[in-house]
Amino acid sequence: MALRGFLALVVLAWSTSALAQGEAAARPDLSGYWELRFDSFNVPRAPLTTAAQGALEMRRAKDQEAIRGCVNVGMPAVMDDRGVLDIRQSPAVIGMVARSPSSTRYIYTDGRKHPDAEELEGTTNGHSIGRWQGDTLVVDTVGFNERGITAIPGGGYRTSRAHLTESYKLAASGDQLMVTFTWADPTVFRTPHSYTFRYYKVGAMPEPRVLNCIQNDADRARFLTERPAPARF
Amino acid sequence: MTIRAIAASVMASLLLTAPAAYAQEKKGTAAVPEMSGLWLVQDPGSGSWTDWFDNVPKPKLQPDIIADNQRMAASEAAGNVVNRAPRTAACPVGNLPMMMASSPPINIVASRDEVLMGSESNRGRFIYTDGRPHRDVKAPSYVPTGFGDSIGHWEGDTLVVDTIGFTPRVCDSRRPVMLVPGGGRAKDTTHLVERYRLVGPDELSVTFTWEDSTVFLAPHTYSYTYKRLPEGIPIENNEEPAVAQPDRQYTTTKAEK
Repeated sequence: MALRGFLALVVLAWSTSALAQGEAAARPDLSGYWELRFDSFNVPRAPLTTAAQGALEMRRAKDQEAIRGCVNVGMPAVMDDRGVLDIRQSPAVIGMVARSPSSTRYIYTDGRKHPDAEELEGTTNGHSIGRWQGDTLVVDTVGFNERGITAIPGGGYRTSRAHLTESYKLAASGDQLMVTFTWADPTVFRTPHSYTFRYYKVGAMPEPRVLNCIQNDADRARFLTERPAPARF
Repeated sequence: MTIRAIAASVMASLLLTAPAAYAQEKKGTAAVPEMSGLWLVQDPGSGSWTDWFDNVPKPKLQPDIIADNQRMAASEAAGNVVNRAPRTAACPVGNLPMMMASSPPINIVASRDEVLMGSESNRGRFIYTDGRPHRDVKAPSYVPTGFGDSIGHWEGDTLVVDTIGFTPRVCDSRRPVMLVPGGGRAKDTTHLVERYRLVGPDELSVTFTWEDSTVFLAPHTYSYTYKRLPEGIPIENNEEPAVAQPDRQYTTTKAEK
């Protein structure tokens, strides 16, 4: 009887090991250079609170000042960059680099939790942890601040109370990456706001990798701040 | 076959397949040591940033570099503004030797084809490990930076990184040149080789070897040790933009020192 029990344990251990191997082997590698194209956006209008509706113009001006000041653009602008997004995946962490002024975004997939709120100093990208559910990476982000470009596609803006959930899934045999973003923030959205981007894989990263942002360029500042004159014919 | 024989057979199968499965997983993801993580350079107790930066074996320098070092030191000692160069679009980004010696942790993400290396959560270096050669750093289209052009390959358990294509001048440091610990320079003629090796589960050794016959009389080598911060949280440089403090990053006065 003891031998049968031992045998059962061995078989259980073997099957668990095989399952773990299968999961590891099935884990997709999101690494690559990804770009957004004209048909990459499925963005509905966000269900804004009345307070958020009233704050939009102030937020827009604040964002414009951040652009002028070359402040790190942060989330979600990092994921909506006009340039190519570089995603690099290691077993424990995924890094994402945009060309616009921004911090590298790190998504920890090693099973760690978010730090306690009192330990977490807000950043433009927030603190991200991810876990794999089959072939989909589910990312949870908190710990934002309100610097950089705060505008959220579809309407609304990032605040320190925002909670972002994302799902990443490869499509088209790995040539496309589908990312669905869901923002929850009771001060901004009446209900969670979701939208999806479809990224296309490209072979190379354009140089320079990092765009040089000059805060004290007077001509640039004028372009960004002066109201455009109407076209005359 | 008795039940004992079946048990022995299953056990043997398990023992044989477990290491193979581990190796396969490593092959599929990273058949090399996992260096990803947040790493803090270990200062042996130098006391100040300048002392720490120079706390390496002293290189043998070309006479004109020694003279230039003395000129800059005298100018600083006199309280002069060291570098008033306005930051323009032509100003290169990055400063590799300073980044690798700085107190903010280095954040490494090592994927199969590329290693990202950031500091203070901001962007930093890109090291290509996909077998590509260096870019043509003499081509007009190449934009030199303080990080240069880095390619890497694995030699056993060691990541060897080769960097060329540094910028000859910098705009926004305290000095208009990119200093190498010990008193040298990194510039457009400089070649750097780094060797990254885990010497413990949470300890990373990096050996730097700088070569440039216009700066050094012989290759200049030193090593740093970094400790892993398993629960470290990347921080972000949250300085106010320079539009609010227009002179902050361009000048160094006696009062600030």
